[in-house]
Formats: sequence, structure tokens, C-alpha cells
Amino acid sequence: MSEQVEFVDILEPRRTQLGIFSFMTRNWYPQRTLTVDKYYSPQDLKDIVANSVFLDSIIEAECSRTGVNKEKLHQAVHDYLEEMGLDKKLHVIRWMGIIFLKICFMMKIKMFVNEAAVFELKSIMGKNPVLFLPTHRSYADFCLMTYLCYHFDIDFPAVAAGMDFYSMAVLGRRMRETCAFYIRRTLAGDPLYAATLKQYVRTVVGKHCAPIEFFLEGTRSRSNKSMPPKYGMLSMTLMPFFAHEVPDITIVPVNISYDRLMEHSLFAYEHLGVPKPKESTGGFLKALHNLNDHFGNIYLNLGSPISVREYLKNETSHSKETLKPLDLQQLTPEQFKKVQSIADYVISLQQKNTVATISNLLSLVLMQSLMKNKPLEFEEVIEEVGWMIQELRNLGAAVFENDVRSSVEKILVVHKKMMRLDKDRKLRLISGVLTDLSSDVKKKMKGHILQAETMVAAVPIVQLQLYVNPILHYLVPPAVICIIVHRSAIVRDNLEVDYYRVRKLLSHEFFHLETEETNTFNKALDYCIQNRVISYNGELYTLVDNTKIQYLLKWSVLPALTTLLKCAEVMTEQKSCAHKQALKLVQQRVEVQRVHPYCLSLEATANCLSGLVAANALVKHKGETDVIYELVPSTMQECHNLVNSILPSFSVDFASNSVVIDHKALSRL
Amino acid sequence: MSAAFASSSDSKMKNAENDNSNKRTVDSVKKKSFGDKNIKSDSNANNSTVIKVKSVIPRRRQDLLKWYGWGYKDSMFTLNGNTAAFTGNRYSIAGHNLPHLGQWAIDNLGIDPTREPKIPEMPTNFAESRLPEPIRLELEEIALVSVDGMDRLIRAHGQTLKDMTQLRSNSFPRIPDAVIWPDTHEKVEEIVACASRHNFVIIPFGGGTSVSGAVTCPANETRPIVVLDTSDLNSILWLDKDQLLARVQAGIVGQDLEREMRARGFTVGHEPDSYEFSTLGGWVATRASGMKKNTYGNIEDLIVNTKVVTGRGVIEKSCRVPRISCGPEWEHVIMGSEGCFGVVTEVTIKIRPLPPVVRYGSLVFPDWESGFHFEREVARQRLQPSSIRLMDNEQFRFGQALKTENTWGGVLLDGLKRLYITKIKGFDPAKLCVVTLLMEGSAEQVADREAKLNNIAAQFGGIPAGATNGENGYTLTFVIAYLRDVAMEYDVVAESFETSVPWDRTLALCANVKQRIRDECAKRGITKYLISHRLTQTYDAGCCIYFYFGHNIGKCTDPVSVYEEIEEAARDEIIACGGSISHHHGVGKLRKKWYTNTVSEPGRQLLFAAKKALDPDNIFALGNMAFEEHSTNSTEVRSKL
Repeated sequence: MSEQVEFVDILEPRRTQLGIFSFMTRNWYPQRTLTVDKYYSPQDLKDIVANSVFLDSIIEAECSRTGVNKEKLHQAVHDYLEEMGLDKKLHVIRWMGIIFLKICFMMKIKMFVNEAAVFELKSIMGKNPVLFLPTHRSYADFCLMTYLCYHFDIDFPAVAAGMDFYSMAVLGRRMRETCAFYIRRTLAGDPLYAATLKQYVRTVVGKHCAPIEFFLEGTRSRSNKSMPPKYGMLSMTLMPFFAHEVPDITIVPVNISYDRLMEHSLFAYEHLGVPKPKESTGGFLKALHNLNDHFGNIYLNLGSPISVREYLKNETSHSKETLKPLDLQQLTPEQFKKVQSIADYVISLQQKNTVATISNLLSLVLMQSLMKNKPLEFEEVIEEVGWMIQELRNLGAAVFENDVRSSVEKILVVHKKMMRLDKDRKLRLISGVLTDLSSDVKKKMKGHILQAETMVAAVPIVQLQLYVNPILHYLVPPAVICIIVHRSAIVRDNLEVDYYRVRKLLSHEFFHLETEETNTFNKALDYCIQNRVISYNGELYTLVDNTKIQYLLKWSVLPALTTLLKCAEVMTEQKSCAHKQALKLVQQRVEVQRVHPYCLSLEATANCLSGLVAANALVKHKGETDVIYELVPSTMQECHNLVNSILPSFSVDFASNSVVIDHKALSRL
Repeated sequence: MSAAFASSSDSKMKNAENDNSNKRTVDSVKKKSFGDKNIKSDSNANNSTVIKVKSVIPRRRQDLLKWYGWGYKDSMFTLNGNTAAFTGNRYSIAGHNLPHLGQWAIDNLGIDPTREPKIPEMPTNFAESRLPEPIRLELEEIALVSVDGMDRLIRAHGQTLKDMTQLRSNSFPRIPDAVIWPDTHEKVEEIVACASRHNFVIIPFGGGTSVSGAVTCPANETRPIVVLDTSDLNSILWLDKDQLLARVQAGIVGQDLEREMRARGFTVGHEPDSYEFSTLGGWVATRASGMKKNTYGNIEDLIVNTKVVTGRGVIEKSCRVPRISCGPEWEHVIMGSEGCFGVVTEVTIKIRPLPPVVRYGSLVFPDWESGFHFEREVARQRLQPSSIRLMDNEQFRFGQALKTENTWGGVLLDGLKRLYITKIKGFDPAKLCVVTLLMEGSAEQVADREAKLNNIAAQFGGIPAGATNGENGYTLTFVIAYLRDVAMEYDVVAESFETSVPWDRTLALCANVKQRIRDECAKRGITKYLISHRLTQTYDAGCCIYFYFGHNIGKCTDPVSVYEEIEEAARDEIIACGGSISHHHGVGKLRKKWYTNTVSEPGRQLLFAAKKALDPDNIFALGNMAFEEHSTNSTEVRSKL
């Protein structure tokens, strides 16, 4: 999204014009996704599913297989539908809207939307189902899309929500009434539930006439960057298209970027292995109190709608599946592959639609000064942020900010708990609070039990990294080229080979489209040459003298590559190891060796292990309770050597860094 | 021997729970192949709509079925002096004495009930399997394989008289070399591919109830013959109660299919007399007809899609539509192909909701001709109930002979009825004929139909004779098939044969064929014989006539040949009188003589062209219809192993 996008704060009119109340109680005639003769109520939808040929067949088969009587199975389906089924109560939505706006004002946020895209979308709505596929970085995502739809008179999206919310008192029910439907995290072991969900989703997509919204990544990305997609939900939602129940399905990728995530400190702890607190209404109310603060801007960037039919170039049938009853038609393996390719493509579009916020840029600057162990004065910071904006725009990122100085000042307020100017007006990162974890929490820790000191040092850096992460996908390709060339001068073929190998190893940590890699590589190479990262003498690529941009590129991939190396080391020693055990061992090693604290992240470690599997350095088995990795020594050795040879060297003391300011010192300021 | 009457009344057909017989396959299968463990599992997680059907018939058929004759081995007629009985507990007359049957048999067929019945010993010597070891191992990779002699013998034949004779004397010139049990369409594809590679013959085998010789091993085949037993292909892949369709694997046995459907409130309604044992795929391959075709249609009306593995790949229409105008309908090339083009693996078949009311009825007519005109009129007005059949006097009397011991009340009532019909109405007991009716529908529809039929009957001198007579007629259907076994045990050879004929030629055909048989018997000095016929189906343009013929072999040295000569003469007469080669039994090997004449020479060429297109290597070398019975290919087995 290098072109300039016009964003409009859609909350602005609420502050100036009519009051909240009259806006939320206005007459509302939403645009539907389908214009049909008969509209089905939420109850109708459930009935259609319960009486479907598909579920009848499943029940018949289940009954003959297990002998459980059909009545019981029908009852089970009924119960499942009650559990998952969405509801729609306009008055509840209106009340929720009022509360939402109140909270927004409390959080002092601005909600920027690229209006033009919304209008474009509305203009093509009415012909076929629409899927909203937003990034998922925060719980707030749920509300934002629904509010956006209300604001622009689009029918409320049916939102797929995890069962975690189902059990929330009052709120669980209210969410359902705002068109949320609940899905269980795991479908394994209960084929009847899986079948019911499948049919429900298919029916909602085909007959509900409102947008469907779900998160392709399946969960909030704790790292604030894209994760490889899950394919199940998309398969279910695209089924009506493959069965030709609907002429097409429109997919709208949405990127939601935050200046400040409500959950950032929880996320930081989660990376280190502290489990997330259970969702509860009590928790929500407690959290409300924390929301009385500055949260900066939120950008909802709607991408151009994709027509699934056009994307697949009409290559959708002709499968033998049409011989089956419509209801029983299933995805063929070829169709599933297409679903996978769509999912991957959408994630890449979400990435492309990233809006680099000032928070991101400021975090880059602060992280860099941390790497250099050198605090920057405010004026230097402003200068650096300006430079970052330039560099990122060069790399194709959208930065929606013009008045850098005032924006930075605003962000310093927003993130005042994370960073601040000290008495010399130098930007410093605020250290964590030394707290002993209760033994209760320790029992639940997912990884290695880290020392309190480690946690204190790690939490603020991991938290800061969360704001660096969303824009890393712009930096990684040139960074990889940069560090390979840094190792030694290299011919193009070898460079390309090593580049692809490194990218494969990092394919889970930095999601990218495998099919686009040649393109990405060429672009990154051009970039590197044009921006004097490397030079080419007609034969060899060599590193240009130390430049600022090289420095940025090098440290940007340091945490990921270090984690990868540690994983390789641990697995080489272990030969065979269960997933959870591997996580612990890597964390332990990282703690002892005092490398970049982000390497303590369990998510990063898991991603790197998956990368090693993708590169065939490990083989994955399903063990009894956990996944088990099996070493492939020769391949692992090659991977290890490769990573080790290109790993940029930094000697930074993260534990006592001059950029970090002790929180205790704050009180003295 | 898909003969005689048929029944829809499950209450009468006591397929009683029998632990031994219902125990399904796996336990009773001998460890036949060490390849078992290599057989790929077909667990298909996606196919969660699949209903695995427990078949009544085990993989080792001989455990439940009579190896040397028809049906269940616990069910048979026995003669002990003058008292006859039917054993077992599966049918309504089972376990009862039949006081009149012995005398009837003596009178009509001149048997000697005092001597021992000829029951054969189970054979122990079999022709060696010619299937080369490497091919067997390859097949075992795909599915369960057996080369056991008994397994091969009982799948070497159908149910013709000749089959039975050769079976009882273990004198088949050729039996299969192996039996294989695939359970998925994909495995069938693999097996056929294997056959193409190694040039061996595949005979698809369903229920083995063919009465045309179609499934009988071709005597002169020199290549190895593998019987592809479809009995494991018996899952219901899906069931759509809304569209009233089911996708079923073609090896499902009729009674299994019907039981599963009824348990869910539906019926296929296809009930040929063999349906206890015959299979869906078999019905397709023979163009079968069911007793209740007036309501549910014949097999060609019931089928929406068929999937067939031919020697040249899978043939199947790409859409599931009620009708199509797209050149010749290739489904109809498969239907009636008698196994010569490939294996039917899956069928999409229509189902109907079970009718709320099922009622039987019967009508008595003074003679065959008035009964015939009644049937013609019913067909003209298209008022046929599910089943309507006219029995001639011989069959009526045979039915009386099959009566079980009666209570006092029953005898009295019978007496009164007879009194009414013979004395008051003046019907000649030696001429009267009976029409049996099976009516289905709502109570209203059934009552309405019955009234209309009674009205028409009255026009032709017929009078209602009660539901019990009708019901008895239908329930005896399944039992009659067992008669041939006891007949053979007392030196009577018997067989049934059928034809379809236009209305205007029916009466003459019946009379002429009966006369021709009498003449042929006289020529050969045969005095003790029985000839009888029925009108079993009616159409707009004609009807189906079913003949029974049996004779005491007396001093004949080759009774089967004699019988076949007479049947051939009868068929010549049928054809001459404007009848067809067959209404539903098929051509097989028995009626090849009349095939070309029936379909014309270009028709025969078309058959060859189809064969060339679908099975150029003659993998399915069954030699039915116009195909030759000796192998045309090189006798060398191409084995790459």
C-alpha cells in the first residue's frame, strides 16, 4: 500500500455533531450482502441446519456406527446449535454501541477508516456473500468491525468467536445478540459437533445475507504480526461457493493497526510463558478501569475486495461431488488446496494493508538506540522517526502521519508507561517491575520457569518488540540479503539459494507467500542496490560501507535468527524431543546466554521449530500427548551452519542497558 | 431361480434372528491370506455419512446358505413317506407339516416318496487354482483373496438346472481360480487394472442367483479366472430423505438394502423373487424387474446414476439429473450388460416413504381367459396396484397342496368358501383361476383402488376371495424356490422361464407353449410332468408370462439335456408367438441362440462395438449374449513378476 490512502476518523462526528445517543438510536436501514426473496431469522437458520440432509445423514451413519439412538443425537445437534447459534437484537446492539462509544472516548482513541474502500465495497454488495477477514491483534477487533458496519449502514457481520467468550456472564449472551456465533477451538474427537458447525457456517454464509467475519489466523496474534492462517473456517465459509449455492464470495481483507494494544503487557508475559487470564466479565470490568487512558489511533484499512470466482479464474468445478446431494457436497482435495492458497493470499494482503503507525516508528527508533546502547535526545528522535518514515515508504509501507513532531509527542503520552523522556529529554525505555510470580502462576507456566530478574529485563523489551513486529515484513527480505552478503561477497545464484533457505527457515516467524518469493527477492535485491546496502560489480554482490540502513536491517532480524540458532543447537543435542520440552530447553538456553530477550518468546521458538520442520531439519511426529520432533542430523547441520554464518554480531547488554530506565527512578523525576 | 410368487410382507417372511447365521463375515472367515495385514485400510474420514451395513449373508456363504441348492441351508422341503414338511423357522410354512403336498407330488409328478432323497456330499477335491502366485500376492495387497476350493466352487455358478446338476456332482468343467472381496470402488479399479496388466479374467459375482447361466464360469476359458465377489461392497454411502435418493454400493443384498431402508421409514420397493440373496449390482446387470414395479418401477426406472469400472476406466454420468437428452443413454448399455463390460460399484437409487397401508386381496375367476381379460382391462385403465398376478388352475391347486395343517375353524371356513365358489357361483374347480393383489398407499387410496378393481372383476365374472388367499399367494413366493431342490432329490427336473408378450398375442402364446411342451413330452415318452403358467406383470403394451415346467426323469439317461431340449422348443414357440427372449431373467448363456434375431445384426455389431470400447482385452470374459465363450486372447499369462 505505497499509495497514499485517505483515512477519516469516524468517531470525530460523534464528538462534534449529534450526541452518541441519537446516533445510536437513529433509523437504520443496512445494506445486506444478498438481495433475496426470503430472509431467514437466526432461529430459521438453526432450524435449517437441524433439518439438513447433511446432519440427518451424519446422524444416520453415527447411529449405525455407535448404536447411540437418533433422538439423542438430534438432541445433541440441537444443543450444539443453541451453543453456537448467533442471535440479533437491534436494541442490544444499540446499547452496546453506546457503551462502545463511551469507552472509546474514555480511551481517547481515534478510529481511522479508509472511507473510500468502504464505499467501494458497499457499491458491490448485494450480489453474493461477503467475508470480512481482519487481522486479529486485540479483543477490540470484535467491536471495531461491528461499529464500522453500523456507522456505514452495512448489516452486522456474523462474527466467529471463540468459546472463551461464551462462558462470560452477561457479556457472552450480549455478544451473541450482536451476531456473534461461538465455535470450539478443537473439533477433534466430536465428529457430530464438527458436522454441525460445518453445516451451520455453510448455512450462515449462504442464507444469512449479512457479512461473515472471522479471523484467519484463528487467534489473536500475540506478537502483533501476521501468522500462518488456519484453513478450517475458510473452507467452511467457501463451501457454498464451491457447491455453487452462491454465484461468488467476496473477501475483504482488513488490517487493523493499533498505536497501543490494550493487551500489550499481557502479551509480553504470554510470550515468556505466563498463561493468559481466563476471559470473564469480572476481568472485563477490572480492565475497564485501565482503559481510562490514552490509546492513540486505530487504523482500519480495508483492502480491495477479492472475488473468489475471479481469483480462481472460474476453475471451480467440475467435480464428481455434484453427484452427491447438495448438502453433502464436500471440498475435494484440489478445492482445499485452492482454499489454502486463498487463505495465504489474504494474509499477505493483510500485511500489505499494514499502516505503519508512529508507535511502530518510535519503537523502531527506541529499539535501535537500545541496540546501540545509546539514548537519543528528543530532537534526534524526531529526526530518526522522520528517517524511518522515509525508509519505510521506500520499502513500500503506508505511513499515515504528516506532522511528525506532534504525533511523536502524542505517542509519548500514549505509551508513557513504556517509554518516556528523562530529565535530559532523552528517550528511555522503562524497565519492568520486579514481582515474584505466585507459585500458582508458576505451576501454570508454559515454558521454563524464568528468574524474576530475567522477566523484569525481558518484559519491556518484548513489549517494545511487539510494536516493531508489524512492520518487520518490509524489512526482512532486504535484511536477509544484507546479512548473507555481509558474510562474504557472493554470486547471484548462491545468494538466491541461501536467501530462500533462510526465508524457509523463517517462514513461520515471518509469514510470506511461497509463490511470491522470486518476486520478493528481486524487489529486495533492487532495493538493496538502489539504497546502497550492497553493490554489484557484474559478478559478485558485496557489502557497501557501513550505512545506517544496513544497521537497521541487521538488527531487525537478529532476534529471529538467534532464536533459530538456539533451536538448532538444542535440537542437535536432544536428537528427539517433545514440543513442550523443546520450548523449555530453548528458553533456558536463551536465559543463560543472555541473548536478545525476544528470543525468550515461546511463540518465536515454536515458529522457528516449525521452520526447521519446513526445511526438513526436523521431522514431526504425533506423540501420545504432544508433538515430537526428530532430528535429521545432516540437514540440521547445514541449517545450523547457514544461520550461524550469517548471524549478525551485536554485543548488547540487555540487562543493564543505558537506554533502559528503572521504573523506580521515575518517581524521582 | 427367481421364480414364482413374491412377497412384501416381512411379518410372514420370518427372517428370524439366528445368531449363527447373522454373525458377519470377519469372524467366520478363515485366515485365508497372509496378505491381510497389508490390505490398506479404507478409513475415509470424510465419508462420515457412510452407513456400514451388516449383511445377513456371511463371506463364507456356505456357513449360512445351502451349497448345493437354493437359499438357506436350514430351510428345505422334506418328504417322509407321505408327509411333507418345511424345515427351519424363516418362512411362514416353516416348521409345519404339509399334509397335502406328498400326495400332490405323487399324483402330478409320480415321485416315490418312500426312498431316500439324493443329498450330495460336500466335495473335497477341486481343480487346482491356476492363478500364478505372484498375481495372487499382488491381489492380496489390494483386498482379501481366497483360493479355497469350496469358496471357488460355490461362486462358479448361478441357479440354472444345469448349474445345480453339475454342482451336485461336482462336475463343472471350469471353476474360478480365486475369489477376491474388494470393499470400495477404488479397490475394484485396482483389481481391474491388475487384470489388464496380467491378462486374467474377472467375473463379477453378486448373489449368484442368475438363472441364465450368465455368472457361470465359461467352460473353455484358459486364462486364470478371478471371481470378484461384491458382497463387501455393501455400504450405504449416503441417504437423502429429502430428495428420496440413496447412494449405495452395488454389492448390497436386496434384503439388507430393504431392511436398512425400512428401519428408516423408506423402501426401495424393488423385490424380485430372489431379493433375499440377489444384489443391487446384479439387478442392474440383468435389467431386473421387481414384483412391485407398478408402484416403484423396474430397475431402469429406479436408477438415477450408476458407476461402473470397465476395462477402460470408470464410466459414470457427471450429473445427477432426472432425465437427460444427450445422445444414447449409456446407463442403458450397462443395464443388462450381464457382467460383460465391467463391474457396477455404486448406484444412486430412488427410495420412497413406506406406505401407511399394505393390503392383500384376491379374486377368483371361472377360467384363465376371464382372468386374462380382467388383467387387460386393469392395465388399460392403468389401475394396477403394486402387484397384480393371475395364476392358472395348476398353480391354484398347487397352492392348495401347500396348505399347512389347519384348525377346525379354518377347515370349516375353507369348506364354506369352496361351497360358495363351486356350488353357488358354479365355478369348475378344475378350471378356476386366481388373481392376487397387493395394494399400497393411504387407507383411502387402498380402499378406493380395491373398490374399483372389484368392479372391473365383476364385469369379467370374478368374485373377491379375501385377503388371506392373496397374502398366502405372495408369501409362498420365496418358498417355491426351494421346491426345485426337493424335486431333484426325488428325480424330478424343474425350471421356470418367462417372457414378455403383447396383449393381443398373450392368450395364443400361453396355449401354444403349453401344447408344445405336452407334444415334446409325448415325443419322449414323458408322462409325469407339470406345466403351469402365470401372468405376473402388466404394462400398457403387454404383460409378462411366467412358465413352470418339471418332469420326472423316469428312465432318462441325460435328464438335463432332455429338459433343455424341451425348454428350447418352448422358447422357440414363445418367439414364434411374438414373445421375447426374456422379461427379466436375461440372456446369459442359455438363451444366446435367440439374441441376434432379437436385436438384429446391427444390434449385435453394436454390442461388439461396446465391448471393444469398454473391455477390449476381454477381461470380463463371461461370454453372455452374443459373446463367444472361449478366450480369444493369447493363453499366456502376462506376468511381470
